[in-house]
Amino acid sequence: MPKPIYITAPRPTVEELDKRWRISKARKKELQVLVDQFKTQIANRNVVPVNSLKPEKRRKRASAA
Amino acid sequence: MPPPPNPNSVFLNIPYDEEFRSLYIAYIVGLCQLDLVPHLASEIPGGDRRLNRILQLIKNCRYSIHDLSRVELSVAPSATPRFNMPLELGMAIAWTELDPSRHAWSVWESEPYRLQRSASDLNGTDPYIHDGTAQGVLRELCNAFRRGGVPSVPQMLTVYGFVDGNLTAILHRNGTSNPYSRSVFMELCWLSKTLTELLRYTKPAL
Repeated sequence: MPKPIYITAPRPTVEELDKRWRISKARKKELQVLVDQFKTQIANRNVVPVNSLKPEKRRKRASAA
Repeated sequence: MPPPPNPNSVFLNIPYDEEFRSLYIAYIVGLCQLDLVPHLASEIPGGDRRLNRILQLIKNCRYSIHDLSRVELSVAPSATPRFNMPLELGMAIAWTELDPSRHAWSVWESEPYRLQRSASDLNGTDPYIHDGTAQGVLRELCNAFRRGGVPSVPQMLTVYGFVDGNLTAILHRNGTSNPYSRSVFMELCWLSKTLTELLRYTKPAL
């Protein structure tokens, strides 16, 4: 097994990636449809975005984990 | 001395063929999930000689992945071995020898010991073996690159399955059948990254 590479560099920022991929606003809007489909798909698999929970529920979940 | 390479950039040296499509998607999805930035030779605009453009891309990237799993004879009547991937690997090796702090390369194969037959000069180099599957690529990417807060392989597979399933729609919108074209590659990267961020802040409901 080759030696793994431990990456310590800061993660790329959204702005940095946006600048690199240069996807137009109109195209992003079209791709957003796919993103929304994915959201629905994971919602149907009984998962919810963590940030959508109320703080007390978030704490409850954290203590249960 | 050229400017230092982007510390998150990875040059993908892969075959551009139909059979490799699912592994190509897996590389993009996996690298985006590791917060790395994939680069492909086809993304560079034309003008300069292709070989010069590839060498420049290798120089600009901190890492390179050289997938030799499809170094084989073409099916056309005048069966010809495919030398592009080994040629680019040679360029990356030479560049690393000149300054090891700027670049690191790795070899990827589908079968163990195949590399010893196809390129015996690389004996002593352990390749990553992905078994020719998308899951294998994602697994080996996690073995090759370590970083905190990385999703599990099943989570990666969820994003992979979705992106792969929507490739036809992306191709259609771009008016091409070539998944390796620049515009499709950029959109695949954007979509993979966006879905990764979405999944990163998602946990199973209680």
